[in-house]
Amino acid sequence: MSGASLYLGLGVLLWLLGLHGLLRLRHPLRRIMAINLMGSGTFMVMVALASRSGHNDPVLQALVVTGLVVAVSATAFALRLAVAHQAHRSRQRPTGEHEE
Amino acid sequence: MTLALASLLLPLGTALLMLLLRLRSGIWVIAASLGSLLCAGLALHEVIEQGVQTLAIGGWRTPLGIRFELSSLTAVLLVFTAMTHLLVAIYAQHSRHSHARNTDYWPLSGLLHASLAALWLSRDLFNWYVTLELLGLVAVAMIILSGPRAHAPALRYLLLSLAASLCYLLGVALLYGRYGVLDLDLLAQASEADHSTRMALLLMTVGLMLKAALWPLHLWLPAAHSSAPTAVSALLSALVVKGPLFILWLLWSRVAPVDMTESAGLLFALAGIVALLAGGWAALRTPLLKTLVAYSTVAQLGYALLALGLLLRWQQSELSVALWLFVLAHGLAKVSMFLAAGEMQATLGSKRVASLKGATQTMPVAMFAFAVAGGSLIGLPPSGGFVAKWVLLQPLLLEPIHWPWALGVLLGTLASAAYVFRVVALSFDRADATPPDYDPDPFAQWLALLPAIAVWGLALFSQPLILWLSEASG
Amino acid sequence: MNATWTNLLPLGIVLSSLLPGLLIFTLREEQTRLRVALNLTGVLLKLGLVGLMLWGVARGLEFRFSIPFLPGGELVLQGDALSLQFVSLSTVLWLATTIYAIGYLEDAPLRSRFFGYFSLCVSATVGLALAGNLVTFLLFYELLTLATFPLVVHRGTPQALQAGRVYLTYTLGGGALLLMGVALLHSLTGSPQFSAGGYLLPLLETRTPSLILAFALLVGGLGVKAALLPLHGWLPQAMVAPAPVSALLHAVAVVKAGAFGIVRVVYDVYGVEPVQALGLHLPLLALAAATIIYGSLKALQQRELKKLLAYSTVSQVSYITLGVALMGPIAAVGALAHLVHQGLMKVTLFYCAGNFAETLGVHRIREMDGIGQRMPLTMTAFTLAALGMIGVPPTAGFISKWYLGLGALETGQSGILLVLVLSGLLNAAYFLPLIYRGWFATPKAPWPAAATARAGRPGWRETHWMLLAPTLFTAALALLAGILAGTGFSPLGWSQLIINREFDL
Repeated sequence: MSGASLYLGLGVLLWLLGLHGLLRLRHPLRRIMAINLMGSGTFMVMVALASRSGHNDPVLQALVVTGLVVAVSATAFALRLAVAHQAHRSRQRPTGEHEE
Repeated sequence: MTLALASLLLPLGTALLMLLLRLRSGIWVIAASLGSLLCAGLALHEVIEQGVQTLAIGGWRTPLGIRFELSSLTAVLLVFTAMTHLLVAIYAQHSRHSHARNTDYWPLSGLLHASLAALWLSRDLFNWYVTLELLGLVAVAMIILSGPRAHAPALRYLLLSLAASLCYLLGVALLYGRYGVLDLDLLAQASEADHSTRMALLLMTVGLMLKAALWPLHLWLPAAHSSAPTAVSALLSALVVKGPLFILWLLWSRVAPVDMTESAGLLFALAGIVALLAGGWAALRTPLLKTLVAYSTVAQLGYALLALGLLLRWQQSELSVALWLFVLAHGLAKVSMFLAAGEMQATLGSKRVASLKGATQTMPVAMFAFAVAGGSLIGLPPSGGFVAKWVLLQPLLLEPIHWPWALGVLLGTLASAAYVFRVVALSFDRADATPPDYDPDPFAQWLALLPAIAVWGLALFSQPLILWLSEASG
Repeated sequence: MNATWTNLLPLGIVLSSLLPGLLIFTLREEQTRLRVALNLTGVLLKLGLVGLMLWGVARGLEFRFSIPFLPGGELVLQGDALSLQFVSLSTVLWLATTIYAIGYLEDAPLRSRFFGYFSLCVSATVGLALAGNLVTFLLFYELLTLATFPLVVHRGTPQALQAGRVYLTYTLGGGALLLMGVALLHSLTGSPQFSAGGYLLPLLETRTPSLILAFALLVGGLGVKAALLPLHGWLPQAMVAPAPVSALLHAVAVVKAGAFGIVRVVYDVYGVEPVQALGLHLPLLALAAATIIYGSLKALQQRELKKLLAYSTVSQVSYITLGVALMGPIAAVGALAHLVHQGLMKVTLFYCAGNFAETLGVHRIREMDGIGQRMPLTMTAFTLAALGMIGVPPTAGFISKWYLGLGALETGQSGILLVLVLSGLLNAAYFLPLIYRGWFATPKAPWPAAATARAGRPGWRETHWMLLAPTLFTAALALLAGILAGTGFSPLGWSQLIINREFDL
């Protein structure tokens, strides 16, 4: 029981940490990592909630698996976009035309 | 229900086939949208004849399975989504300026259509998370079709959208942890006003408001919507921001306990008024045409937020009719405005509002479409925007104690009139008109006019529409 | 609803100008003949249909067209005696102004757009006159704003755009107030059909604050178009529009739409008794009286002919509001007769101003010296209309002022008599010098031979016949309306008929 609460608290903490990072950091890669931290926090909360009632709740675990798939694809997409953005900026920078 | 599912599966199947077979021709999407529109129309007819229908997906009953529900509102939204997609697809295929021919626009727009349809049909918190995430990813992918310049706003939109989804997901987890169900109706029966419910609703609301660009979480919208290709801007403004709004509305009007709704309603309504004024002011000040139209979306969503807030505060379900009328009228008007603005800025060769000098001469049809659609945003009779405003005003004006809210609506009306006529007045300036860079495209301009006329036609069709919308909200 | 001819006639009257207008938009610039043909077909058709409706109403037939629109508020077009008064005025003057505009805009650019919007304006005016309830009235009132804006900015110059922006600010603001007022009343009772004596009496006790606020909103919204005192600022500015627009729209259709709306609200929505019970007529009366004096004083200071006429409109239109606010049957007859009389006289004056400007380039008052020798017919028309404005018997203006004065005495508001006398003196003070200059002063320079002129000789050829004929036509009508006031088919006689129904006499 207390183990579940511990993981619950840790998950919330991770989520908050991720949010903090997302709001404070500017670099796209760091912000993507912050988002992933938020995601991990959420999944941890869900897993903790699933085991809280004594037996493991299969629904929540199924949700976590679905969520992981979504998160992985979203991260991949974000990374690809960040790379393209970075490449575009570095091409633009010498001309000094592009404003950030 | 089969018909509604067909309306969802047609664009989905088309999009997947196009991805697999590497087809990039617009004809397929146009055909799929047309088919989807037909199915949605028949589904609407079916709902009117037989009442609300539900479907347990794969035969799994709630609480384990996922439930689809086809209410008359959902059917109207399905029709609206398919119609908008059809129109925009024809535009994207035929306009010289759409830059969508033979690109990934086509499969993506099919996916967008399918995820929206799934969102309208779902009544399950987690399934909504999946559709929201899909919607966000597809929208971002469509924004970057306009080239590297759109990467920065698209990346910002993507990160905010992912964060918002996780906010929402954490809320869903908390609710499931508390009640052990994800189905909307089961949750509505079980919900109580305790601490974890409050927390969950707060998290979900922040996530949804961010995704719907509701004031004060709207800052990503103008850059993202205005940097997208014209056809995509139209879809984003008309449809995508309405998805999260739908969930927000269902969540608060069904699940939230009554003693929470009153205070939340006040906040929503105040945010709505501020959105009207702040969005209107920003639209009045911006030098860029598409940014003006995008800020007008922020302002117009204020009406929806105001209707939602007052509906929660006074527990008057009639106000949800006003909310959905605003959504429909705004969607049609925005399609028209974005298409007209896109045509004009491509033909006149400048993104600035000031380049529209003399546009009544050089591009009369597009300018007329812009003005007519703007008339609906202002709420001039007999347009869809007018009917929506009328329905919203009725309960506000009935009791003197509510009159301050009506004053807010009046100010919002004046603000929208100011930014619409800022553009329209400029277009009559014949002294030094901006000459078109190359030949205007008459067909695309007429296409832009079509939804503007439809939104005025909506007014004459308002009685059955109000009836259907009120059945869904009751 | 059965589709019999009595149901479809009101719709037909609106469509008879709307459809030609929409067709005209699609024409190319050089398709002059087709455009003129469409215009004239529309005018003559409308004239015929209005004549048919007049005949029908006189025989007691009911004309009513309705389609569902809002919950509790249908879209209703109906022909009653009051709406016919305004419809007939608009239609007859549309005929005259169309001919005038064809002559005036000969070889000007963008004529398709001009005549398209011009027809839309007339359709909106007629729709507003035929509107059977407040929702329908609101709809056409806003459409009138939208359709007139392109005409104000028609010239596309910076002044025109500036005037257009001012015009929009005022009229859209007014429209928003009117919307609020109509929506407020609608939230209480829905929007039933206009009826003599109003429909708000049952709510008098329970909903007093709502009724007062709604009245303020409605009058505020209508007062913009009727150019009531603090809301009149758009009218003098809008004079940059081409002369036919100033003549028909700003002197007649738009300002009359406001005044007509006030008549409807007072008589057919609120009713005389509730207005008096709420004490709403007194502020309205004060406002109207102040506007009458203010407009005349401002007119006295003007140096441009069109500006002077504009301020004179501000003053003269408020006679209608004044007559309504006096709340007595005799004053009401005066007010309704003035609705027509002022329209005929003012349109004549604007035609004359347009003739002077087009033929000789005369815009300012001091350039008018001796213009009567060069353009005697136009000047005669001008003199007749100006004397009517002053209220010299037996012109039409005298008739309406006479009834207004009698009405003031009847209701015991003898102070209003002073206002009427003072305003008459002021009218004389700014119109008589013009008449004197025109006929008796010697011109400062010889008139240009044919440089800007459409034609050269004084008399029938003093200007383009399409400019002269409408001027003489409306001047004659204004004179006849005064001389034949005692007969049953004059504007006065028809007003008497309306008021007998309203006051149940």
